[in-house]
Amino acid sequence: MADLFQPASPQGSAVYPQISRLSVQLRHNVGKLQIDVKFELTQPWTILFGPSGSGKTTILRAITGLFQPDFAHIVDHPESVSSNQPGIDLIDTTNGLCLPPHKRGMVLASQKPSLFPHRTVLQNIRFGLHGAREVAEQKHLDERNETVPRLFRIEHLLHQRPDELSGGETQRVHLARATMARRIHVLLLDEPFTGLDRELRDELITDLVAWQERSRVPILSVTHDVTEAFQLGAEVIKIAEGRIVRQGPVAEVLAGERERLLQQLNASKESRA
Amino acid sequence: MDLAALWLTLRLAVGTTAILLVVALPLAWWIASGRGAGRALVQAVVALPLVLPPTVLGFYLLVALGPLSAPGRLLMRVLGHPLAFSFTGLLVGSVLYSLPFAVQPLVAGFSAVDGAYVEAAAGLGASPWRTFWSVVLPLTRGSLLTSAVLTFTHTVGEFGVVLMLGGNIPGATQTLSIALYNQVEEFNYAAANRTALLLVAFSLMTLVVVYWRSAGRRVVLG
Repeated sequence: MADLFQPASPQGSAVYPQISRLSVQLRHNVGKLQIDVKFELTQPWTILFGPSGSGKTTILRAITGLFQPDFAHIVDHPESVSSNQPGIDLIDTTNGLCLPPHKRGMVLASQKPSLFPHRTVLQNIRFGLHGAREVAEQKHLDERNETVPRLFRIEHLLHQRPDELSGGETQRVHLARATMARRIHVLLLDEPFTGLDRELRDELITDLVAWQERSRVPILSVTHDVTEAFQLGAEVIKIAEGRIVRQGPVAEVLAGERERLLQQLNASKESRA
Repeated sequence: MDLAALWLTLRLAVGTTAILLVVALPLAWWIASGRGAGRALVQAVVALPLVLPPTVLGFYLLVALGPLSAPGRLLMRVLGHPLAFSFTGLLVGSVLYSLPFAVQPLVAGFSAVDGAYVEAAAGLGASPWRTFWSVVLPLTRGSLLTSAVLTFTHTVGEFGVVLMLGGNIPGATQTLSIALYNQVEEFNYAAANRTALLLVAFSLMTLVVVYWRSAGRRVVLG
């Protein structure tokens, strides 16, 4: 799996040329919850960490354009554009700008897999490859088509229908499909490992990390699981009640949570002893 | 057997079904995915032919398409003949009369499609147009078939609108159901029986095909 997408050069892989940095600023009131956040994705993998009901999914959906907040300014800075030039406004409510979801390149793998039931696995994962304009681009897309099934270990499933897959297989195909999207600038994951057993989760994380090392596409994932955050060793944005409490490396931001978890573990060990 | 009436009926039903599928697809999609007061009003208007006596619809169309109204006069000038009492006039009437039968199964089908599929398609870069054709429509094939078959059979069985609007001209506007009415008026019960049987057999056959095809699948009828 070493040379999946050509050398991982600082310019990004040729197969995934549209690496970008995302800056997000949004405010929205949902019932009692007031979401008010501002952050930038500076690391390859960033985690939105917080309890359920803290507004994480709403933030993801606002980035993808599936949901329009009261106020938002979300800018995509492609790496190909020099940093002193303005990026692409995905949404700028102040100026009445809003790109529709399919033009944003923000690919969301939702918590519940939504494989198209009338298409085979192959037809599902190829759905997002549609629409190459140039021969060179088509070549890159063909390459993804070749490598992604291998990377996510679904080669043997390609001709099956979604209803023939196990839960774990469904989740693999779901993630593979998202990573195949032609215009992917950022991959957004909404608790994709929830409800999976430990072993399967570890496998999927390994696959995603391998994919990202090659593709260099930034990932923003949502979780409330401390172990998962540590496992990914990612940048963490900690959210509580719609606000950012802290942003930084996982070891710093979630040190308290980890301590508590260890204490609980020890306590249960002692009570068993 | 009145072959001219049979041929006319089939032409009318095929034409109406074709036109209504083109009209009903976007209309049903708009109703299923829209919201607001405009949508309620449109839905009510679409459902109106279900509750109105066909003669009411026929009467208004007769007036609207005839020389009594400005649009009717304009049409007459363009076509050279009044739209009422012609095959085209019947087609217009049938399209309006069968509108709910085409639209409602589609609305039910579209509403039943899980929004997660539509959102996933958009996330993967598919335009609303592509999402509709490659995700929504394949998932609602059953409703599409129901819509087409109901429109077709409903048009075949149409009477009131055709009588008001078409006037009972053999070869031009006399469909099977009108021919049957004529035959009974002339006390030609043998011929009437053949026509009636034909209509019963045809309707039963199409409905059996629909239910048989949709066996085991969820189907929305009506």
